[in-house]
Amino acid sequence: MADTPAPELHWPKDPKYISQSTRRIDAVAKLTGKARYSSDIQAEGWLYGMILRSKWAAARITSINCEKALKVPGIKAAVTVKDGERRIHYYGEELAAVAGTSKTACLDALRAIEVKADELPFAVREEDAMKPDAPKVWDDTDSNVSKPKVTERGEVDKAFSECSAVVEGFFVTPVQIHHPMETHGNTVSWTDEGVTAYASTQGISSVRDGLAGALKVPNSQVRVLTDYMGGGFGAKFGQGVEGTLAARLSKEAKAPVRLMLTRFDQALAVGNRPSSFQKIKLGATADGKLHAFQLESYGTAGIGAGASSAGGGGGADFPAPYLYKIANDNVRVTQTTVAVNAGSARAFRAPGNPTASFAMESILDELAVKMGVDPLELRIKNDPNKERQQEYKVGAERFGWKEKYKKPGSSPGVIKTGIGLASATWGGGGSKNTRGEVQISPDGSVEVRMGVQDLGTGTRTVLAVIAAEVFGLKPEQITVKIGDTHYPPGPGSGGSTTCASISPAIFDTCTNALQQLQTQTGIADARGENWLGACKKLGVNPLTVQGKWQEGLSSRGAGGVQFAEVAVDTETGLVTVKKMTCVHDCGLIINKLTLESQIYGGVIMGMGYALYEQRVMDRQSGVVLNPNFETYKLTGLSDMPEFDIVLLNMPERGVIGIGEPATIPTASAIANAVANAIGVRVSSLPITPDKVLQALGKVPTAKPESVS
Amino acid sequence: MKSFAYASARSVDSAQQMVGDNGQYLAGGNDLLGLLKEYLVDPKILVNIKSIPGMDKIEPSGKVWNIGALVTVAQIESDPGIKKTFPGLAQAAADVGSQQIRNVASVGGNLAQHSRCWYFRHRDVLCLKKEGDMCYARHGENKFHSLFTGNNCISPVVSNLAIAFAALDAVAVVQREGQPVRMTMAELYAKAFDNPTAHNSLNPGDLILKVEVPVTRTHSAYLQTSEKHEFDWALVSCAAAAKVADGKLSQARVALGSISPVPHQVKGANDFLEGKTLDDATASQAADLILKNAKPHGHNDYKIPMAHAMIRRTLLKLNG
Ligand SMILES: Cc1cc2nc3c(=O)[nH]c(=O)nc-3n(C[C@H](O)[C@H](O)[C@H](O)COP(=O)(O)OP(=O)(O)OC[C@H]3O[C@@H](n4cnc5c(N)ncnc54)[C@H](O)[C@@H]3O)c2cc1C
Ligand code: SF4
Repeated sequence: MADTPAPELHWPKDPKYISQSTRRIDAVAKLTGKARYSSDIQAEGWLYGMILRSKWAAARITSINCEKALKVPGIKAAVTVKDGERRIHYYGEELAAVAGTSKTACLDALRAIEVKADELPFAVREEDAMKPDAPKVWDDTDSNVSKPKVTERGEVDKAFSECSAVVEGFFVTPVQIHHPMETHGNTVSWTDEGVTAYASTQGISSVRDGLAGALKVPNSQVRVLTDYMGGGFGAKFGQGVEGTLAARLSKEAKAPVRLMLTRFDQALAVGNRPSSFQKIKLGATADGKLHAFQLESYGTAGIGAGASSAGGGGGADFPAPYLYKIANDNVRVTQTTVAVNAGSARAFRAPGNPTASFAMESILDELAVKMGVDPLELRIKNDPNKERQQEYKVGAERFGWKEKYKKPGSSPGVIKTGIGLASATWGGGGSKNTRGEVQISPDGSVEVRMGVQDLGTGTRTVLAVIAAEVFGLKPEQITVKIGDTHYPPGPGSGGSTTCASISPAIFDTCTNALQQLQTQTGIADARGENWLGACKKLGVNPLTVQGKWQEGLSSRGAGGVQFAEVAVDTETGLVTVKKMTCVHDCGLIINKLTLESQIYGGVIMGMGYALYEQRVMDRQSGVVLNPNFETYKLTGLSDMPEFDIVLLNMPERGVIGIGEPATIPTASAIANAVANAIGVRVSSLPITPDKVLQALGKVPTAKPESVS
Repeated sequence: MKSFAYASARSVDSAQQMVGDNGQYLAGGNDLLGLLKEYLVDPKILVNIKSIPGMDKIEPSGKVWNIGALVTVAQIESDPGIKKTFPGLAQAAADVGSQQIRNVASVGGNLAQHSRCWYFRHRDVLCLKKEGDMCYARHGENKFHSLFTGNNCISPVVSNLAIAFAALDAVAVVQREGQPVRMTMAELYAKAFDNPTAHNSLNPGDLILKVEVPVTRTHSAYLQTSEKHEFDWALVSCAAAAKVADGKLSQARVALGSISPVPHQVKGANDFLEGKTLDDATASQAADLILKNAKPHGHNDYKIPMAHAMIRRTLLKLNG
């Protein structure tokens, strides 16, 4: 039935719930603690699991002996990641794991494991790893640096000579760590019947496939459950080494094992956003049109970069030029990645984009200054996207751009204010493999099922809103069941594609179900007040109907423009973000409230990128120096600005997706606002007080800026 | 953490008896629990001192206020009398960590807390302070570190209260070998200036009983700059206090935190301020004196201009 071509579907014209604000249907469960997150799962007879990690940044392990660990009271199992000789590539790499009846037992057991290793030289910083004589991160390579990925189009040199203004800059972005509220981890039970994993994941299907592959168990014998989970930002698609270890411990101990990482672990081994060092050159002709662009960049994705990643891989290559149109495509881009002895990068909320945006938007503002034009006008002139053209207008008006804009550095007094803006582009769109199921019971109750997980974005509520819309019911009347690989397959929550995948699928499912209900019961319109009557006519058996993603209800291409206003204390260097005006489009809005939440979250995370967050590697010991929230700093409540969020609803475009574009331009807009306030640019993120003072020339003995 | 015994003390004497040479006092536990969990300290016994009666009081008087060692940072922050009499102290308390931390953090624990150097706090780095053979910060990441020190360790004192107390010329009363000993803030930390393994001058078993704060100085102020707006350690903190009459200062004291293993005070600067009327130029001259001989280490150079600004601002706040 689901595979017969459906009649063409259209979103309702005057929806009751779609595009309105519906409170999360699971808000009460979350607030009262009734919602069980992956880290809350207490399976019958479960054990704690913990991982022993390398304390060396590079080493050759000669042996790992778990015998003494197994003698610790309460310990039921111990496994090594790999037996025999083994090369270690970064501080925090997994060596072994234990399972036991208490945390204390596990901690003691970890310390009882005997590891013999030969320490090897390492390079944890990009500038060190790039030196020809640097220790090699990978044994079989002769360089830590990848072959450059080169793009050349148009006639770049000639084009630069035709420009009336050319600006150059060097921009640095740090390694940022995902740090979701809930750490990575799983409770896994592996018995003769198969494997059940309660995973903190943004992809139950990918975890199922990953576990099946790693454990060599048939796919059909692996079930992954994720009722509630606490965020992932791109780092939680797989079961991880920790998931495989939990499974092996479970088999060994014959009990479910809950292995959740600690915050410390989280900083080392489960992903990050690659760093970037970008030498950039941009030119425009006298009419203000961008005419030539050149970029040379390098960055690290940890051990997942460099020569072994075959040219520009590992996620350290990013889109360039970003978003704006360069005449005749006069573009030269050379990107390399550098392997360092540090944890590997993983997809991180809009991979590559905030990184690309920071340098591009910064150099664009430099160009505006050089040409003596308003940065807003320069963007309007060079942005080819028609939605964003609307957003520049709407945003500038709401924000008061024209009234607020003044020449860089011209703000009087010690505390200077400034404004800046930046833009975002993102694909989004839906996955056509998405399927759903709905069960309508004779008592009128409705259960919607889909093998998707709620990353925290409000996925459950989106499904309820659409089902309610189709059936003429209220969202809270819909029971939504997700987070189970036994349900029809849903998408992984990534790429801002969830909403555009599940919305058409559930709309199709519910539309099918409504039709079938009406046909079966002979009631012409079973919706709303007729619902109960129609359902009663079903007799004893519930009606179960499936549906799938349909063309025409979603599309691709989300965008946004963010405006920032900051105050900078020029004596202490402290930056305060006063206001963020965020204008975004993502097609048809399904639930305004949770969509706004995505923008709040995106901006807050972007503020972290702008002002606070940075993984610090120590080049002497090779460790991550700030594996905690004391020194890995996250945006806090008192750092928050005033928010003004404007959403352009474009029902005609269908559903697109917003999670990622919301975070792309924030840091760039803030950096531009800081430069506008103080008249000089801090060209490396995060913009901390020391860098502001240095940029202002107030640090007499300053050495070249640290790029830790 | 390793196993330890646990006992609650009912009196100062029993606390000292139980703690012995290898024990540690437990007050709010904010600092101690972190150290234990990272295996950075290894006490044989934890002696809970919160059960000692009478040490949690703020006692005002015309001359000297007594602040018990078990008074919480939150109590100091919100006490109307302290806010009025020692506004600098109230502000220093308000800037400690987060509300949750202030609610349990005690005065004694705040003064006796250990280094926050990220090498010291790292479980897998063995630096000088942990009796390793080198200071990693000197040649490594020293953005949060000291501009002054008398030894190879450049981990600064980070207790907000110590800085405010220093400017107020407060004295810690410490029970040592059965006797109360009175220590100025300078004395309370002096050992950390010379000895890389010390966090302060307390000997094993020493118990801070209270802090005496003289009311001599009519005005006080405290300011800090952090990377975040709240719940973040000071990059530089500054406290100032003085008697102000007819616009003229007397007995002025300025102390800085996070730039030296001790509350950084310069007698010459305090003397210079005697009898002065505060204006920008005077405050700036004082700042010059206070920061003379500062020795930055590559990443903490910015602390010099920052501290300069903080001294000026804090001093000018004394004008009311
Ligand atoms: C995340 C975080 C942020 C923080 N931010 C700040 C900040 O910005 N500014 C700031 O000043 N502090 C800050 N603190 C430190 C905090 O204020 C101190 O840890 C706290 O005040 C310690 O008090 P406590 O009662 O919890 O001490 P405990 O943890 O109980 O004790 C700390 C140490 O002092 C010893 N001790 C306790 N009482 C006595 C006594 N009466 N006599 C002798 N020794 C004693 C203990 O044995 C132990 O060694 C922060 C702490 C954390 C965890
Ligand atoms: S500053 Fe002190 S605590 Fe920090 S690394 Fe150096 S010796 Fe250790």
